[in-house]
Amino acid sequence: MSALLRSPRVHLVLRLLLGAVFVYASLDKIWDPAAFAKIVYQWQVVGPVASNLVAVTLPWVELLAGLLLIAGVWKRESALVVALMLVFFIVAAGTVMARGIDVENCGCVSLAKAGAPTAWPPAWMKGVGWFLVSRNLVFLAASLVLVLAAPSRQGSGSHTETARQRAAERAGLTPASGAGSQGGATQRPSAQGKT
Amino acid sequence: MHWDGACYFRNMAVHWKRFILILVAGAAAGFLWNAASGRGFALGRSVLVQAGDELVQVADARTLLDRGALFLDARPRDFWRMSRIPGALPLPEDDFDRGFAEAEERLRRASGIVVYCSGFGCEASHVVARKLRERGLIAAILDEGLPAWQDAGLPVDTEPRS
Repeated sequence: MSALLRSPRVHLVLRLLLGAVFVYASLDKIWDPAAFAKIVYQWQVVGPVASNLVAVTLPWVELLAGLLLIAGVWKRESALVVALMLVFFIVAAGTVMARGIDVENCGCVSLAKAGAPTAWPPAWMKGVGWFLVSRNLVFLAASLVLVLAAPSRQGSGSHTETARQRAAERAGLTPASGAGSQGGATQRPSAQGKT
Repeated sequence: MHWDGACYFRNMAVHWKRFILILVAGAAAGFLWNAASGRGFALGRSVLVQAGDELVQVADARTLLDRGALFLDARPRDFWRMSRIPGALPLPEDDFDRGFAEAEERLRRASGIVVYCSGFGCEASHVVARKLRERGLIAAILDEGLPAWQDAGLPVDTEPRS
């Protein structure tokens, strides 16, 4: 399990998927900020002016974090931003459901007016409900893997060092004594945390 | 579970400056886009309010009701059937033409008109007031709609209608 969570390939797939989802989800909202602001206001989580501020800024953070994930730049930090947003989305959806507010279109991806019922996507997929929460929990799990589980190889910074040193230890290559500074580094690889 | 990540986690190699920078840069891009793209909107007031919309607060709406103003329920007709501000006529946003035909005579005679809908984030009262304006009728919009009315302890007529 641990090996799978730390597999660079798994990380790559999660990164590209999450990034694509967040970039795609941001486009409609960026294109029509006022329409998105109306939907944010309908959630009744924040007041009218705060809804406007959320509607104007949130899609751009989504876009930026998504692009960084796809590009593989600042991976952990952008994954953490995505995780943070998802936590807010899940909590907000929880309060909306608990208060029994009917938000026909959650405004998560598309801003199309609810209007006439469509065959696809069906109402339970568009509104705020268990489907939305489950979907966001899956995304949250994916983003947390990217934040918490360091990729086992080709990782950046400290982790590469750690992995190399572990491999070296296993191979018996690390001098157990004699090279004091190196030995210290082996015991506490985390000291080299800064890239 | 063998969890080497624990060590990594303690080390917490997240660069918080980068994390903050993503948030700040995203927010800044959003404000810039709103100001400069031509697709933005006024941030300082409810996005539902457009130029020409006249809002009325609950207390003033009560006074208008006492003076004989005509109230219009912009919610879907089924909601009006269940409950309404006393004397309100149904004029649903999604069935405007029929409701307007039914109510036009009284609307033209009314000393004042107040439109309401289901509160937070509901746009129906704004849409109905604008449609009335196109037809030469001035209607005030009850701010925060029916929930504000109920929260103020004002009467609601719950007798079922057909």
